[in-house]
Amino acid sequence: MYPKETEKFLLSVQKPGRYTGGELNSVIKDKNSVDIRYAFCFPDTYEIGMSHLGMKILYSLVNSREDAWCERVFAPWIDMEEIMRKNSIPLYALESGDPIRDFDLIGFTMQYELSYTNVLNMLDLAGLPVRSADRKELTPIVVAGGTCVCNAEPMADFFDITLPGDGEEVTMELIDLLKECKKNGSSKRGFLEAAAKIKGVYVPSLYEVEYNEDNTVKSITATCGAPEKVEKRNVADLDKMFAPSEFVVPFLETVFDRTTVEIFRGCIRGCRFCQAGFLNRPLREKSPEVVEKQCREICGSSGYDEISLCSLSTSDYKGLEPLLKNMLPWANENKINIALPSLRVDNFPKELMEQLNTVRRSGLTFAPEAGTQRLRDVINKNITEEDVLSTARRAFSGGWTAVKLYFMIGLPTETEEDIKGIADLAQAVVDEYYNNENRPKGKSVSVSVSLASLVPKPFTPFQWEPQDKPDVLIEKQNYLISCVKTRKVNVSRHVPWTSFLEGVFSRGDRRLGAVIETAWRKGCHFDSWDECLDREKWMESFEENGIDPFFYTARRREFNEILPWDHIDYGVTKKFLENENKKAHEGVTTACCREKCAGCGANRLNGGVCNEINKTVV
Amino acid sequence: MRSIRLWYKKSGLAIYTSHLDMNRCFTRAVRRAEIPLWYTEGFNPHPYMTFLMPLPLGQTGMREPLDIRIEDDGITNKEIRERMNSVLPDGLEIVDASKPENKPNEIAAAEYEITAAFASVDEAKRFASESESVMNGGILNAEKRSKRGIKTVNLCEMVRSFSAAQSGEKVIISAVLASGNTVNLNADLLINALFAELSATAEAVEIVRIKLLKEDLKIFE
Repeated sequence: MYPKETEKFLLSVQKPGRYTGGELNSVIKDKNSVDIRYAFCFPDTYEIGMSHLGMKILYSLVNSREDAWCERVFAPWIDMEEIMRKNSIPLYALESGDPIRDFDLIGFTMQYELSYTNVLNMLDLAGLPVRSADRKELTPIVVAGGTCVCNAEPMADFFDITLPGDGEEVTMELIDLLKECKKNGSSKRGFLEAAAKIKGVYVPSLYEVEYNEDNTVKSITATCGAPEKVEKRNVADLDKMFAPSEFVVPFLETVFDRTTVEIFRGCIRGCRFCQAGFLNRPLREKSPEVVEKQCREICGSSGYDEISLCSLSTSDYKGLEPLLKNMLPWANENKINIALPSLRVDNFPKELMEQLNTVRRSGLTFAPEAGTQRLRDVINKNITEEDVLSTARRAFSGGWTAVKLYFMIGLPTETEEDIKGIADLAQAVVDEYYNNENRPKGKSVSVSVSLASLVPKPFTPFQWEPQDKPDVLIEKQNYLISCVKTRKVNVSRHVPWTSFLEGVFSRGDRRLGAVIETAWRKGCHFDSWDECLDREKWMESFEENGIDPFFYTARRREFNEILPWDHIDYGVTKKFLENENKKAHEGVTTACCREKCAGCGANRLNGGVCNEINKTVV
Repeated sequence: MRSIRLWYKKSGLAIYTSHLDMNRCFTRAVRRAEIPLWYTEGFNPHPYMTFLMPLPLGQTGMREPLDIRIEDDGITNKEIRERMNSVLPDGLEIVDASKPENKPNEIAAAEYEITAAFASVDEAKRFASESESVMNGGILNAEKRSKRGIKTVNLCEMVRSFSAAQSGEKVIISAVLASGNTVNLNADLLINALFAELSATAEAVEIVRIKLLKEDLKIFE
């Protein structure tokens, strides 16, 4: 519960429910009876953070221990931050209302690069020095996990530890170690050196980075017994892994106001732009029985009337049909809607589709990602125009009138023809509607084209590719809009400056730490919010630190260049990514894991689809 | 199908929950309590649930009505109350469940207790006596926002009774204010108009709606 001194301000801020705590199923413990207090921080607003599944899992997992208490912390919105700073209210955890600077562990989940300044801001609001080296005491230890820590280098000066890969097992091991170190009175340095010996723990301060004259990395050297390569943690068996049976149920409406149950991790597809697909290899599935049990438990304890079955590509789930057949009668009876994001509808049984829509009809989305077959082959997105059109045909016959299509621009080898292809494909969907005799009568069709820009990411085949500059992206966006000849097609686009900054930090190195700190001191925060992103301040910050941001985005990297993240190991080998890059430029596709093992290297990690394939080979 | 009027208390942390969020919160609670809700039979079935007089953000309510409809399967009102109370979050409590006696549009007034804390006993004394004089004088103009825009209204015309008692640094106001669909006075507007009129500043204000009343000031059931 919030500290007493904030009470009188709660009615003067937007959405006070963000700051009160006290939600159903939030965990309250006696602080004197636990050894480790863990502040789990999401560096964005309450509504976004409370929608994040990883936080719910780790929250319940840590709280399942008697010796530890995990609490939630979110970035206060600008109005609340002002009040907190003016009245010297330090950043507090929602469950106890206690200042997090007194906690043992402060954990951040890093889902997008544009939340970096919020991390600094939250540490500062907590009353802690932002730099790791300036926090001399053993506690609090500041750790980070999540997608972005595959390249934690831009944040290396701020985090004490990062945890590449699945967080469940390693978080528990880290808590054990910290508990022991607190008891022994060991130093922070002693703890960090011991932590570096745990598999899947990266301690940035134990690595020395040297640069060449041309600013590329010359060498990365491990010191004090830290491993040369840090291999990510990989949970082998999701059925046996802890999954929460209770979620904190917020008073406020959150971004995804529903329960989420994970059905598998990883992806068999190998789309060449997709970082999540490569970082989470190999694919590991939960059994349908376990998924169903978890769905029933969570709905019962939360009262939510919508379940989202979450994964990177739902239709690749082998147990999907039996699962739905078992779950649908229960869901219908209890008026529970089952949402299947990332579903490919082309080969999905019609009867199940109809049953899924008996409770509430959700929208239809499709992600061809590129406008021509040639470019879809380059990015290894194995969807054909006929797949899109036949799905649309079925959807229109079933009464749908709105379709959403996701595309990317700025892809390698892209030409004008590829961009025009996006408009053509959208037009083909419109035509499909009017050629369909079974379409809903008297209604118009609406095709929404959502246009993102490629940000080449570490650990993808495109990690060596140059990223289009913002002005080029704007030109491409405008060209696409000029190609659209009907009002039935509506194009929405992103601000390319957001993608630009994301690009700088995702493939950045340690020298960017100073830039992040400068920008934060100038007042940059909530950079992922269009209304907050201050382009001028960021460009000033690059200049003041003598850094050319386009060095990180606009340059083609050589295959033999040492990349800032080369000492982190996600299973997939650099050689494989290099081959995939070459195949992309040749327009050659790669089969999915279940069809044929492509030899990516992830099979040396433990389990998942690789075992399944090995079995069939043997 | 049976209609039930739930009477709930909203206090503590729950006062920071807006009306829209209350709707979500109760829908989920009813589901957790496994109360056999009646669903509308339209294209998009949804449970029938109506808050008769939404409470403004930040105010406490001692006995607020919420109408629901359930499939009649013999569940008693007492059982509904107990089941709901075992699943509601802190700050929300069902104090009673009854058959709706009055129609929602019979709500005409509401009884409030407003506590204002001041920096000194003197300030409290001055506010208690001067606020009563203002109200007895019959004129307290304030800008009131409505769907048709902002206009200046005399709040005294919407106050059925008013008394202020000083106790230490606090002033406790007991008031009956017009409430309902046609004429409605938010207690927050009244207290702030009094602060402005008397150039007073309170350290803290707590507004509690005690109960809803009908035109004849008998309790709304």
